[in-house]
Amino acid sequence: MTGAGAPETASRVVVVGMGSEYRRDDGAGPAVAHRVAGHCAGVAALGPIAEPLDLLGLWDGADLAVVVDAVRSGAEPGTVRVIELAAEPERARADDPPGTTSTHGIGLAGVLRLARAVGRAPARVVVVGIEGADFGQGTGLSPAVDRAVPHAARHVMELIEEVG
Amino acid sequence: MTHGSGAHRTVAVDGLSRVEGEGSLRVDVRDGVVEDVALTIFEPPRYFEAMLRGRRATEAPDITARICGICPVAYQMSACLAVEDAYGIGVDDRITALRRLLYCGEWIQSHALHIYLLHAPDFLGCADAVELAELDRAAVERGLGIKRTGNLIMEVVGGRAIHPVNVRVGGFYRAPAPEEVAALAEPLRRARDAALDTVRWVGGFEIPEVDGQYRFVALRSTGRYPIESGRVASSDGLDASPAEFADRVVEEHVARSTALHARLDGRLDYLTGPLARYALNSGELPEVARQAAADVGLGPVCANPFRSIVVRAVELVFACEEALRLIAEYEPPEPPASEVRPRAGIGTGATEAPRGLLFHRYELDEAGVILTARIVPPTSQNQLTIESDLRRVAQAALDLPDDQLAWRCEQAVRNHDPCISCAAHFLDVTVVRG
Repeated sequence: MTGAGAPETASRVVVVGMGSEYRRDDGAGPAVAHRVAGHCAGVAALGPIAEPLDLLGLWDGADLAVVVDAVRSGAEPGTVRVIELAAEPERARADDPPGTTSTHGIGLAGVLRLARAVGRAPARVVVVGIEGADFGQGTGLSPAVDRAVPHAARHVMELIEEVG
Repeated sequence: MTHGSGAHRTVAVDGLSRVEGEGSLRVDVRDGVVEDVALTIFEPPRYFEAMLRGRRATEAPDITARICGICPVAYQMSACLAVEDAYGIGVDDRITALRRLLYCGEWIQSHALHIYLLHAPDFLGCADAVELAELDRAAVERGLGIKRTGNLIMEVVGGRAIHPVNVRVGGFYRAPAPEEVAALAEPLRRARDAALDTVRWVGGFEIPEVDGQYRFVALRSTGRYPIESGRVASSDGLDASPAEFADRVVEEHVARSTALHARLDGRLDYLTGPLARYALNSGELPEVARQAAADVGLGPVCANPFRSIVVRAVELVFACEEALRLIAEYEPPEPPASEVRPRAGIGTGATEAPRGLLFHRYELDEAGVILTARIVPPTSQNQLTIESDLRRVAQAALDLPDDQLAWRCEQAVRNHDPCISCAAHFLDVTVVRG
């Protein structure tokens, strides 16, 4: 993957493949980021990244950060969603600790709030979610998710084109 | 969440915040006495052990690196040592030094993360790191700056900041050029100064006085603070090779958890991690780290789990200072890796992950294929001790209202920075239609 792991990236666009390829469909994010990296020179494609806190320092100052991740929402496996994260800082609610959107210590939303609190958030963060079916141990995407990878990559590349 | 009334009271925390991965804990109280505590964790090494069977031993460093998003280098290093032990491979001192430098990068990343974003909020009355950033933005920026320096080391030596790709059995794919390594010195000097500020900062926290009465277990190697190698020592006299130690650690399955609970000689619980490393090796710290510890009243042994944040900060100073030493003495290993010739055998490797002793043991056939794998992470070794801490802390805090009692129990878990580990991390998404 090109430019993987470059801190303080000079790129205006960062594509992050969240997930682990050893948890089946959880590898969808890295698969999409890898595909985008092969098509878009000059874009910092990072991943696989398993820990949202790792984004701190990696996405600093980007005009656009696209976070590609497997999601579980009850939709049909392979469904692709593009979710624009709010531009305004979100306040945490007492019943909404940072970990609730992720099984990690601090999830993506919490990390974004933290980045904003210290003035290092990307100008724009978009999540491209791919509905997963199988998050069990092992490698390889399930068929519907595998078919959705190029579709999701197209969404990411359209977002990159918008930035110009 | 708490429930129960009268004599029977249950405190349950279903989603532990600010520990790596997933976990929950439950405390049962009956007639004013803590009857049972259970830390339930979901830990993937067991699945990786199964996945490794039939794979080539040379794949073990990269596969096991994916067990944890926070400490991939620890998994890579323990895997390399185990396979090299089975193959009877020795490595050049310059390779060992480069491994130690890479590992310093991971310690710096991991300790900065835990101190600033996961642990410090407990002592400052903040719900999380975001609240801390609003209260003291400069402190969080300092922590993130230190973490970025760790990222830099990982990138230069490991090939990238996250999940290094430059590590292989026998050494490295490529040795970084001297000028690349030398360029790390300036940011590291700044990080060391920030780490010294960190010691002073956490040294000023109000910390409860608790004596954990631990049996400490850590690596020990003469003349240096342990990171990437050593024999296994304990506070009650153990001195064993990693292979002997692995034979003496018995793990038992507990129904509530996918992790195994480890006991020494099948009966003794013990603690690995910063408190153990420090207690058994504080005399090996460089002067700057020893002085920083002394300045905040930290003696040569610390058995207070709440004070582990101070010990971690001292280790942060050490990791920066050690990285600077290694950079000053750096000579690229040539070749960058020892030759690897498969042979049948059993090998064990043990290193000090940021959160404690991590050992791997592989049985390999003559073609270098893994027949059996055993991976024992620090958290499963610490689990029984963490539960003992919980019992003690909960008993002492029974007068608190349930929510505060639950909070105190969470702190008791976070003191040990458990890597409850990286399971899947899909987002649970709920679509609300207006």
